[in-house]
Amino acid sequence: MKVYNDFFGPYGGRYVAEVLHGPLAELEEAYKAAIADNSFREELDRIRREYIGRPTPLLYAENATARIGGGRIYIKLEGLANTGAHKVNNVVGQALLARRMGKRRIIAETGAGQHGLAAAAVCARLGLECVVYMGEVDIDRQRPNVFWMELFGATVVPVGSGSRTLKDAVNEALRDWASSFTSTHYLLGSALGPSPYPDMVREFQSVIGRETRQQLEEAGVNAEALVACVGGGSNSIGFFSPFIEETTPRLVGVEAGGRGRGAGNHASRLSGEGRPGIVHGYKSLFLLDDDGQVLPTHSVSAGLDYPGVGPQLAALGEAGRIEFLTATDSEALAALKFFAATEGIVFALESAHAGAAGMKIARSWPKDRSVVINMSGRGDKDLFIAARELGAANWAEFLKAEAARCESR
Amino acid sequence: MSPDKNICLMTHMIAGYPNAGTDFEVARGLIDGGAGFLEVQFPFSDPSADGLPIQAACMAALNAGFRVKNGFELIKRIKSISDIPVFVMSYASVVYAKGVRPFVREAGRCGVEGLIIPDLMPGYDEGLFQIGAAEGVHIVPVVPPALSEARLSEILAQNPAYLYAALRVGITGSRTEIDETVFSSLARLRGTGKQVFAGFGIETRAQVISLAVHADVLIVGSEIVRAIAEAVKDGKQVYESVKRKVRSLLEDGATVETEKTE
Ligand SMILES: Cc1ncc(COP(=O)(O)O)c(C=O)c1O
Repeated sequence: MKVYNDFFGPYGGRYVAEVLHGPLAELEEAYKAAIADNSFREELDRIRREYIGRPTPLLYAENATARIGGGRIYIKLEGLANTGAHKVNNVVGQALLARRMGKRRIIAETGAGQHGLAAAAVCARLGLECVVYMGEVDIDRQRPNVFWMELFGATVVPVGSGSRTLKDAVNEALRDWASSFTSTHYLLGSALGPSPYPDMVREFQSVIGRETRQQLEEAGVNAEALVACVGGGSNSIGFFSPFIEETTPRLVGVEAGGRGRGAGNHASRLSGEGRPGIVHGYKSLFLLDDDGQVLPTHSVSAGLDYPGVGPQLAALGEAGRIEFLTATDSEALAALKFFAATEGIVFALESAHAGAAGMKIARSWPKDRSVVINMSGRGDKDLFIAARELGAANWAEFLKAEAARCESR
Repeated sequence: MSPDKNICLMTHMIAGYPNAGTDFEVARGLIDGGAGFLEVQFPFSDPSADGLPIQAACMAALNAGFRVKNGFELIKRIKSISDIPVFVMSYASVVYAKGVRPFVREAGRCGVEGLIIPDLMPGYDEGLFQIGAAEGVHIVPVVPPALSEARLSEILAQNPAYLYAALRVGITGSRTEIDETVFSSLARLRGTGKQVFAGFGIETRAQVISLAVHADVLIVGSEIVRAIAEAVKDGKQVYESVKRKVRSLLEDGATVETEKTE
């Protein structure tokens, strides 16, 4: 696949105010030059090894497989990457690129906080200034990540406009960048936005898929399906990327089914009610009303409730190369519980959607077929949501006591 | 004192704000206050080129149930009482959802002079410039300062009649310092022979005076929206407040302060 495509079938492009056309053209050139430069790739490899902790393992989930009694389940443990999710793969690539471009200030949007966290951490490591925009709703539900971001020295700016979630944080970052681009790089966290972001983010995330392919070959496993959750689409496109120009394996993207059908209850774009539109600088499938207004969404996971999807995924979905399924809030929570009990692994709530779909596929298969689930993140950040939703014993008492301890300090 | 005849203001308003019905009163106030052009924004849920005053107004209009068809009805109503040129500003999503050609046609039928869609620019315009030309509706590109010659030529190749000169980079909603660099970038655009609208951050009479000879039309946006928000908050008549606001930009002595103490 070419490193720069701009459009993917009907989707993609660069639909931004003129003031951002210059900075995006500059970024496109810098990205193409860096990708072709051996010294850039060597530095990226070194940070991947020494800082991110790559390669991340591919685990044969023996107990889960036995319990389900169907196909074999493998889990790519992407959540073991430093900072806890795949997001850091893209952050490291773009932060090195920003430094090459002489931009010393980084801005980022974040939903679940995993992208913001990775950006804050890498900026601390590389000595860059970092500002993270985060919706007030997301700050409320992913507070632990705010604490870590601030500890890394980032400024977390609450976003109170619109639905006060990830999409509004993207707007705010675009607003900042419209006047700060001379000194600032906008480090977008998913495979979406105006070109070159969808291409660039895929390239930096494709390390997940390349490693998985090699690990499967080394283990002599013929995987017949790869499953990943789809928020904006960065872990999925990176995981799928070495395979999209081939006809196998099955590539399965899992969207947030939330509470069920109907506007405001889910974030299923390809498997649900998405329609072509132009938002956040790119053309793709979005959850919109007849007037083009962005509809509200819902998911138990803060990282999957974005109303659009990366343009390459939308194109590959319509072309039939990638299938899209949904997992509901409760299916995701059940999967989280299942893999914790069987494998001693805590999935992030986002990744647990892929876990739920992977379980269903395995259940329908004979024992000689294999499926690989990408665990894009680990669930540490979801401690509070998971404990509440899964009804942890004495949890409210613990929180009250903890609050009392904080206050008496 | 009568309004300054040498200055043409294009005043910005938001369809559906402060509510359906009162938006028409806003238009009347702007016209009676002496506006030469009207810019009517059709609210979009994610106005990423706008600052807080316009974001808040768009959100209020949408929460109150604004639909694009109401925007076109408002324009028909405005055109029934005045022949003031009306420009519609919105975002790509709103235009694309209706279809670019149907949107432009409908605008033409309602008597719209031109469209300002900042995120549909040459190269990624979904045919907007060509369709505008075919349908007799001007498409007005927003041009930031210090645009490269190459990119300016690409924009001029669309043969626009008007250029919307953004006086600074960034988004709407905060005041622009008017200095020599502003004048020279306006001079550059006027050198193209196009009619130049200048806007972003014009809030005061002093700015209007210093810019007057450097552009054909001056755009006042967030400041009008702020005046409406204030009138609504203080329970004042929106029509009068808006009218006085426009007057205060066009005449010496008709300041906002006098309005506040009445
Ligand atoms: C762990 C994890 N997985 C998945 C996502 C969804 O993003 P994407 O679809 O870009 O991978 C997020 C986003 O916050 C995340 O934190």
